[in-house]
Amino acid sequence: MDEKFDCIIVGAGVAGLAAAMTLARNNMKFLLIEKGEFPGAKNVSGGVLWGSDLAKLVPNYWEEDAGWDRYINHRRLTFMDEQSAFSIDFKSSHFNETPYTGVVVLRSRFDRWLADKVQEAIDASDHSMDSFIAPNILVEEILMDSGKAVGIRTGEEKFYADSVIIAEGVNNLLTRQVGLQDKYVPADHILTGVKEIIRFDQKVLEDRFQLNGKSGMSNEFVGFATDGVEGGGFLYTNRDTLSIGLVLGLKDLREKEKKPHDILNIFKQHPIISDMIRGGEVVEYSAHVVSSGDKRLIPEKLYKSGLVVCGEAANLLMNAGKAIQGMDYAMRSGILAAEAIINAKNTNDFTEASMKKYQDALEASYVMKDINNFQDAVHLLHDPVMSRKMPNLICDFGRNFFSIKTEPTQKARKMLGKAVKKHSSYWELIKLGWKGSRAL
Amino acid sequence: MKLLTLSERLGLVSYRNQAKSEIKPHIVVDTEICNSVCPHKCTTYVCPANCYTMDEKGQVHFQVEDCIECGTCMYACDQGAVSWEFPDPEIGRGVTWNYG
Repeated sequence: MDEKFDCIIVGAGVAGLAAAMTLARNNMKFLLIEKGEFPGAKNVSGGVLWGSDLAKLVPNYWEEDAGWDRYINHRRLTFMDEQSAFSIDFKSSHFNETPYTGVVVLRSRFDRWLADKVQEAIDASDHSMDSFIAPNILVEEILMDSGKAVGIRTGEEKFYADSVIIAEGVNNLLTRQVGLQDKYVPADHILTGVKEIIRFDQKVLEDRFQLNGKSGMSNEFVGFATDGVEGGGFLYTNRDTLSIGLVLGLKDLREKEKKPHDILNIFKQHPIISDMIRGGEVVEYSAHVVSSGDKRLIPEKLYKSGLVVCGEAANLLMNAGKAIQGMDYAMRSGILAAEAIINAKNTNDFTEASMKKYQDALEASYVMKDINNFQDAVHLLHDPVMSRKMPNLICDFGRNFFSIKTEPTQKARKMLGKAVKKHSSYWELIKLGWKGSRAL
Repeated sequence: MKLLTLSERLGLVSYRNQAKSEIKPHIVVDTEICNSVCPHKCTTYVCPANCYTMDEKGQVHFQVEDCIECGTCMYACDQGAVSWEFPDPEIGRGVTWNYG
């Protein structure tokens, strides 16, 4: 093929597909390359897709019974010690309204479904015959000419384009190759995620978690869940399966000499969890590294002449305590990347200054605004006081508060005081409270 | 609920090119480095697929067949022993997730 594309997108995950959809709708001629057998084949997420951008890409997606699994109307944050769980639980029919604020997805299905939607957009565009989604191809090199990206190489074959969007995911080898990220990225701000998919009879799952129709629950866990390692646990209800897993600070895992798959079994044996997963059948085990949301991991520059980087390839992901956001950032950054390419095409200007508009737009969007604003929360979550002492303290208090004994009962304040002294100190909590109030 | 061992878990994974007797490894590990200068040999415990093992003499060994392409070892190894690429779709190993 010696024809030149307007754009080559590397990676058909959420970011790459969002970019492709935007390009197709604007009659651009592009090639979307995916190394997996099909879009989504190699992608793993928790995973909840937060926010409402999906409705922009696929209007009225909620009328379809494919692609996504459940919408979230029930949120729970659980503090755990060895035997107990103390939860903040919020459920509201307000979240039943469309567009939903979060949908649970399984990437191998969701991405493939979204790719079908992109194909429909290609078919409706001026380039129905010369824009392509090409799976099963591994991009080995970004071709550069005098500092400008001009195409890609796979094996002996080369494809040329005015621009390249890198949406290759967190293991961003091409981003490193073009010099936007260091060749070696240390473990400091990287987490390892491990997950199981557990299948149930759908009615059992719906009754157990009080799901109604396509409603779903997301539950995050702090404390005992991670066996003393920095990080947390998660549990999401899919159609007839649960996604259950952990994200573990890789540096801490290394220092504590623990195995992620062992910790997952410890988590599953916790009395609260074992009650939730009873009778289920594990149908998949997966793992993937994930960015922590620490800004130090995000490349300073997300563009070069003729090239932009989006999604988790740019380490756009954050867990600030309220939710683990990553796929929504991928979606928005993919859209913004494509918009910058469309603008470049219209002005025939693929210079660095033109590509910089992508990063400017990203900085002005909620993605970088939130990442910038919530850095303190990211650090706080990784504070050992927060991840270990607090859950123990909260559960200890809970156990005393909810124990009804045939002896004189202490006032809650006194119970709390005892729990504080046992697990921490007032001074430590004042410091934490101060940090927390600023962070959130 | 019965807990699964790691090999039972990996038994659920759909690996690519299983019919091929020879595959091109996408990760190359210089175990000389692991077995001479590395103070922690951390890949032998942080790898979620246990591709890195330690024998009774404390020597590190690596096999790519069980790799689920998570990327953990690329970050965990701070000794420069791990060369990490994505598997070739035709002649490499690697995964196709059913759920993801």
